[in-house]
Amino acid sequence: MSRFVWSKEFELGIDIIDHQHQRIVDYINQIYDISLKAQGTCGSVEVTDADTADLKAVLASLVDYTLSHLAFEEALMEEAEYPELSEHQLVHRQFSELIGSLKARFDQGEEVSQRLASVLQHWLIEHIMTEDKRYAELVKHKLLGIEPDKHRHWVQQALSRHFQ
Amino acid sequence: MSLQWSSDLEIGIPVIDSQHQRIVEYINGVELAHQHHSQKELLVVLDELVDYTLSHFEFEESLIEEAGYPFTKAHKKVHALFTRRVQGYQQRAKAGEDVTEELTHTLKTWLVNHIKHDDRDYTGVVKDNMNEATKRVKAKSGSWMSRLFG
Repeated sequence: MSRFVWSKEFELGIDIIDHQHQRIVDYINQIYDISLKAQGTCGSVEVTDADTADLKAVLASLVDYTLSHLAFEEALMEEAEYPELSEHQLVHRQFSELIGSLKARFDQGEEVSQRLASVLQHWLIEHIMTEDKRYAELVKHKLLGIEPDKHRHWVQQALSRHFQ
Repeated sequence: MSLQWSSDLEIGIPVIDSQHQRIVEYINGVELAHQHHSQKELLVVLDELVDYTLSHFEFEESLIEEAGYPFTKAHKKVHALFTRRVQGYQQRAKAGEDVTEELTHTLKTWLVNHIKHDDRDYTGVVKDNMNEATKRVKAKSGSWMSRLFG
């Protein structure tokens, strides 16, 4: 697992959602930083009580914030009459259960914080790049009155083709 | 550790800022009651906190709805989710469980996140709406003044 570096390609163009995603990324990185500190310089893993307390606090906030974010997103989809809402809700529910059970295992004393952070990291990237990009256009159009910008899309494609 | 109110928690709408500040005081009150080992005091502060937070949510929701903020419904949903969580803690506290540590952590993080990320998003729309309303009132009273004294 390595630090999650936020980049423009993760932006959906809906400020509040982009901020929520970035907040989740911040939490994921906090777990990474605490774990890295615990690993120390000589490679031995030494998780102190203070680290465990820090991890517990960050994990609680991360799970809470993610659930709140999913609820926010579902409300947007509902209002924009996104046709794949029920599939999305099902995926959200399964994902909530997964992170909830990992959190419960951590609270029971199992060292799953890195696993939880990495599950979230992978899920977030996948979630932003696929599902979210699909509903974002509809939300922007229906709730914010922004017309789909085909040209920008074309320009972006050209840019990424030629400059990466 | 108590949560200190600071200017980086302000969203720039004084009426909302003062309500948020009041909620912070209640959260600190919950911690204080815990330090006093007083279950009775704790339950009283919790009741006050829940009541005040619900009124604040209602106020905030009507303000953003009135201003035509496009994410009003989503904002309401997040409020409802949070309310259910806090009420859950409240039930557990009433049943005699010691939830203070978990509860105050949840409250502090939620409030700071909510203020810094979700609430700041509506500031612009609400302020514009307030300015427009003020202008309308001024224009009205202006014409009334000119009719009378013009």
